[in-house]
Amino acid sequence: MTPAWILDIFAGLMLVVAAVSAARLVAARPWQRGSLLIDTDVAHLLMAIAMAGMLASSLGTLSNTGWDVVFALMTAWFAFRVFVDARANGIRALAGGHCAPHLTHSAAMLYMFAAVTARAANGSGMSGMGGPSASAMEALRYPTLAFAFALILIGYSIRDIDQLSGRRYSSAPARVPLARVAVAIPAMAGAAAATATLPGPRATELAGGNGIPAGSATVEVAGSGSGSGGSAVGGILLSPAVTVGCRITMGVTMALMLLLII
Amino acid sequence: MSGVAVAGGRTAWRGRLGTEAQPAGRRLDARRALQLGLAASWLLDALLQYQSFMYGKGFTQMIGGTGAGNPSVIARPITWNATLVSHHQVLANTVFATVQLLLGAGIAFRPTLRVALAASIAWALGVWWFGEGLGGVLSGAASPFNGAPGAVLIYALLAVLLWPADREMAAPFTAARAVGAHVARALWLVLWLSLAYFALTPANRAPQSLNGMIASMESGQPGWLSAIDRGAATLVANQGLAASIVLAIALVVIAVGVYLPPSAAKVTLVLAIVVALVIWVVGEALGAILTGGGTDPNSGPLLVLLALAYWPITAVTAPAPSASAGGKAA
Repeated sequence: MTPAWILDIFAGLMLVVAAVSAARLVAARPWQRGSLLIDTDVAHLLMAIAMAGMLASSLGTLSNTGWDVVFALMTAWFAFRVFVDARANGIRALAGGHCAPHLTHSAAMLYMFAAVTARAANGSGMSGMGGPSASAMEALRYPTLAFAFALILIGYSIRDIDQLSGRRYSSAPARVPLARVAVAIPAMAGAAAATATLPGPRATELAGGNGIPAGSATVEVAGSGSGSGGSAVGGILLSPAVTVGCRITMGVTMALMLLLII
Repeated sequence: MSGVAVAGGRTAWRGRLGTEAQPAGRRLDARRALQLGLAASWLLDALLQYQSFMYGKGFTQMIGGTGAGNPSVIARPITWNATLVSHHQVLANTVFATVQLLLGAGIAFRPTLRVALAASIAWALGVWWFGEGLGGVLSGAASPFNGAPGAVLIYALLAVLLWPADREMAAPFTAARAVGAHVARALWLVLWLSLAYFALTPANRAPQSLNGMIASMESGQPGWLSAIDRGAATLVANQGLAASIVLAIALVVIAVGVYLPPSAAKVTLVLAIVVALVIWVVGEALGAILTGGGTDPNSGPLLVLLALAYWPITAVTAPAPSASAGGKAA
């Protein structure tokens, strides 16, 4: 049996990810007019809470059915985002786009909650993988799928570590270019217009070099970003590196959980 | 990162698209891609090492069992190690898993690439002796179908071949960049010829040897893998000698393939990948990972990774830009 204290460490990491994601959401000020509601941070927050609940028997969260619904919706949402991304940027979006990892994370969570049958009578959450009767409590359907998910998550995590160290993701606060840059993305969800905040060079890069198909909607890059007005700490909190750091931590932990339940 | 904004009474899409978007026109260096494959293998090993089975008696028995048949000078340290692990099972196994986790992360993290690769070589050699009993090379138990000459030895070999240095500026394949084409080809030849030799040892060419080996992997596997193993075991039943000869011929062709012109070498490398996948699925049952008792994916995926490192490259390989791998070529 994997010692409970090891699982507790991973659960603790998940709580840190949840706290960071919650702080990012607060720093983004979603209650203000025109502010951002960042889907990936919402996803990280929910997944981290769910995983902490699965890893630590003392943490009670939602019921399995509740999490099933949450992650089914999340999977559908990111599947839609990947579809849109793939239409705009081609099939490479499946491997290189930032929505694909979130889709994999969501689907893996959905799988874990749907495929693992908790025998605990209380039915609240998964009662912790490190619980006293954990190994006998859970029976896994489709272990091959768990292995496949784990491999994909490991692949994404390794790629993220490489790119984090390769300075693809800045730890500097997200800044917004002063210039308004028009970037084309496909029309999504009937939105007439969209607004994006891009770092200057990247905006130019996207606008100039991505071969975005004609006939797509226009995104205006303008205004002040969520991090521009905040403190330095808030800016760092909202930096891409923090998001990717959370994603690496979650990906590795999720892969571990999938392998543990095989 | 992106999201939906509700502004001005309507829902509009917003996306800080640039914060995570892939820079246009940027391609991953082939050697770096293979290094990441190696990192992923170490990370997978680490996570498997945290499984419940590794904290039980089965794991220490498995380690201790690798000493059987080895010369006493090899077997004694294995027994000592197995005893030590059994006395401090939780601590020892957690250290094993965490070391492998750090190796995987260290190889993927560019500034620590060299340190992690060097450490992985030392670690792999230690595990090869103390954890795998030198892969059964000296005990006569080695077979291409059970991971000979020891899966972890291939990790060390890959770390050497993927070392971030450029001995040859115009290397004919990625593995030649660090050690030169002659040394790289010699290493490939030795590895695959040794596999051919192991395929023909008396223990492996016995009529029911291969059948028994494959059939033994069936237990605890999911239905589809059990079915494959059953079918393969039936196919080679009482055909041990013929199967060994066919396998040995294929392995010899693969071994000498890297000395052939690029177009012919590619054919033999494809054969190597096919053979490696057959070994992985049929002989190794995916490293028994789906039974919950696998410590690693075994040699199949590593042989594939190795074959890819020998894939001929037509363009001259230029040293990677200074931004990578601690300021040097990755």
